[in-house]
Amino acid sequence: MLLARSEIGRAKLRFGLLAGAVGLLVFLILFFQVLLGSLITSFIGAIREQSAPVLVYGEDARQNVAGSIITPPQVEAIAAVDGVAASAPLGEATFTMVADGEQVDASIFGFQPGGPGEPTNVVAGRLPAAPGEALASRESAQEGFGLGDTVSTASGGAELVIVGQTANSLYSAAPTLWTDFDTYGELRRAVNPDAAAVLPSLVAVQPADGVDASTLADRITAEVEGVEALTRDDAAARAPGVAEVNTSFFLVLGLTFVVVTLVVGFFFLILTVQKQDALVLLRAVGASPGYLIGNLFTQIAVVMGLGLLVAYGLLALFVSGSDAGLPLTVSVGTVLATSVAVVVLAALGASVAIVRVVREDPATVVSRQSLGGLA
Amino acid sequence: MRLAVLELRRKPLRFAVVGTALWLLTVLLLFLGGLLDGLYLGSTGVLRQQDAQLLTFSSDSRTSLIRSRIDVETRQQVEAVPGVADADGLGLALVGARVPDETEPANTAVVGYETATGSVPDPPAAGTAWADRSLEANGVSVGDVLEMGPQQVPLEVVGWIEDGNYLGQSGLWVDPATWRGILASSRPDSSLPEGTFQTLAVTVADGADPDEVAAAIDAATGGLTRTVDVEAAIGSIPGIDEQASTFNQIIGTTLLVAGVVVALFFALLTLERTRLYGVFKAIGASSRQIFASVLTQSLVITAVSFVLGTLFVELAALGIPPGAVPFQLEPARILSSLALLLVVATLGSVISLRRVTRIDPASAIG
Repeated sequence: MLLARSEIGRAKLRFGLLAGAVGLLVFLILFFQVLLGSLITSFIGAIREQSAPVLVYGEDARQNVAGSIITPPQVEAIAAVDGVAASAPLGEATFTMVADGEQVDASIFGFQPGGPGEPTNVVAGRLPAAPGEALASRESAQEGFGLGDTVSTASGGAELVIVGQTANSLYSAAPTLWTDFDTYGELRRAVNPDAAAVLPSLVAVQPADGVDASTLADRITAEVEGVEALTRDDAAARAPGVAEVNTSFFLVLGLTFVVVTLVVGFFFLILTVQKQDALVLLRAVGASPGYLIGNLFTQIAVVMGLGLLVAYGLLALFVSGSDAGLPLTVSVGTVLATSVAVVVLAALGASVAIVRVVREDPATVVSRQSLGGLA
Repeated sequence: MRLAVLELRRKPLRFAVVGTALWLLTVLLLFLGGLLDGLYLGSTGVLRQQDAQLLTFSSDSRTSLIRSRIDVETRQQVEAVPGVADADGLGLALVGARVPDETEPANTAVVGYETATGSVPDPPAAGTAWADRSLEANGVSVGDVLEMGPQQVPLEVVGWIEDGNYLGQSGLWVDPATWRGILASSRPDSSLPEGTFQTLAVTVADGADPDEVAAAIDAATGGLTRTVDVEAAIGSIPGIDEQASTFNQIIGTTLLVAGVVVALFFALLTLERTRLYGVFKAIGASSRQIFASVLTQSLVITAVSFVLGTLFVELAALGIPPGAVPFQLEPARILSSLALLLVVATLGSVISLRRVTRIDPASAIG
């Protein structure tokens, strides 16, 4: 496709501008997706990275861990439901911690060691084995929650020694600690000496062998008064804010895809209209529509290829330079899927230009003054 | 200039593509802005209703309403500080409420308060509440008895108030004893004794400096409290700053895209017209005049697309069922978006300036 290449060579600026614009837009799309993924992980990572396949919430908490409590009779009733192999309390609350001499908000989970609801993604150290030991999110190591550090609540109570680290297990985008339920209860009482009781926020349930998690969740919801049981995936997807964040991000993504299609489509349309006379002449001297379309596609491929390279470059720069305190992870699958989608949409956008190329009637050459024909 | 306007009027379709792109970007900008404002207003109503200038939290709470506790003794110390005209107790409980004849419970924020503040009247009788009007979307009407929390404490709605929500949960404003009862039954680990509140809304005496009074309060309580102005308390509501920064990043990038779209379109248009502009210059037009016409066109298109986009968003907002999305489009948001778009459209057109000035009038005769 000599023609396509030499045209690009002669008009580096306009093709460069387009490739740059495409690159920016694709970067935007990729960046949104990375941000979305990490935002959601930092809100509900802790729910995904714990061992219980079923989590039981108080019914009126509306899938919000922070708003949920399970009363002692409910705890007993859940344990007695047919198909429950093991159940354990899981407490969660936000505390003002003192780490590195500074006050920091942190989310603390109280779980039963050895029971369901244990953190699963331990990347350094070990699980807490004794009261006063805790696991901390690796993402928060810089804030004074590193391995071996000792932290305490601003209200006193037990000191926590960090004996291990988790990854992608944040909750509420704050430093997240895991300790045994009794230590958790002691910390709650230190914050509020008037506490009547420290109840679990959730009950973590391990289904018996052969019992399906979602069937068991439905059964618990039906049989135990005032609770709502969810599978781990449902609990993560239906946590407050997650659905809203997803919807608004997808809307933004959709609009950005439309803009990519428009920009590419209208660029090639203008280019085709500008070259109309030349294209007619080429057709008249024997160039097939296929050849002209081939040229067009070569140019689209070059522009999109360059645009994608720009986008990958920007993304790499951004991810390495970002210090948003979020666990940014780029998935190769997402990048590939986005790239393919963008290229397909660009080709679609250019289809108007293709139609124009095909519709050129070589015979019009004889009736166009600009091409030497008769008026 | 006249030529530029004439072309826009005679051949509007020539600008349809760039107009459509800018229209879409406007829709995106306003949607994001409206969502951000809606989230902000829905999260901060309780604090923005405060007539008081200062809020006193316990020092170990990191100015979180939920975690703070101020007991009777501390309150007396605060009230005794010179410059404090009034210190009213304020407390909050985030509780699910069952609505009669509805299957879905409503997320509510039960606000215990002592005196009328902002647009909220004095507390209603025990066991009753002023409800934020957003609860209508959950099927609540005046006279309904809601069942609060796991213990299903009854609470009767006796009237509506506006803009009294917290963290996106609908406000139910009640007297302190009712709030304390609901807090104790729904969150036993957060229950507070008689007289203890989570925070104090401190009204500063006429003529006193709020900053100095805040410092005096914290000194008087021996560091047990942390007193901040209402603005600062709003900023420390979880998620408020993060939301704003995330949305503003997206809004910024959207503006960047709008600039690129304008730049690209007019750069192409200028490229196409190099010969024409050569002729213009040959008959005496200056670069300034030609660039002014490019700029006029880009600003007119941006403004027209913006108006159409705004109309579209306003219409679409009518279609959103109340309570589904916290979307709220404020006039200030519309104006600031328009101003920003016009600025990026101007910047985008500047890309063509170099080409326009480089055109040689002599090229007109080949």
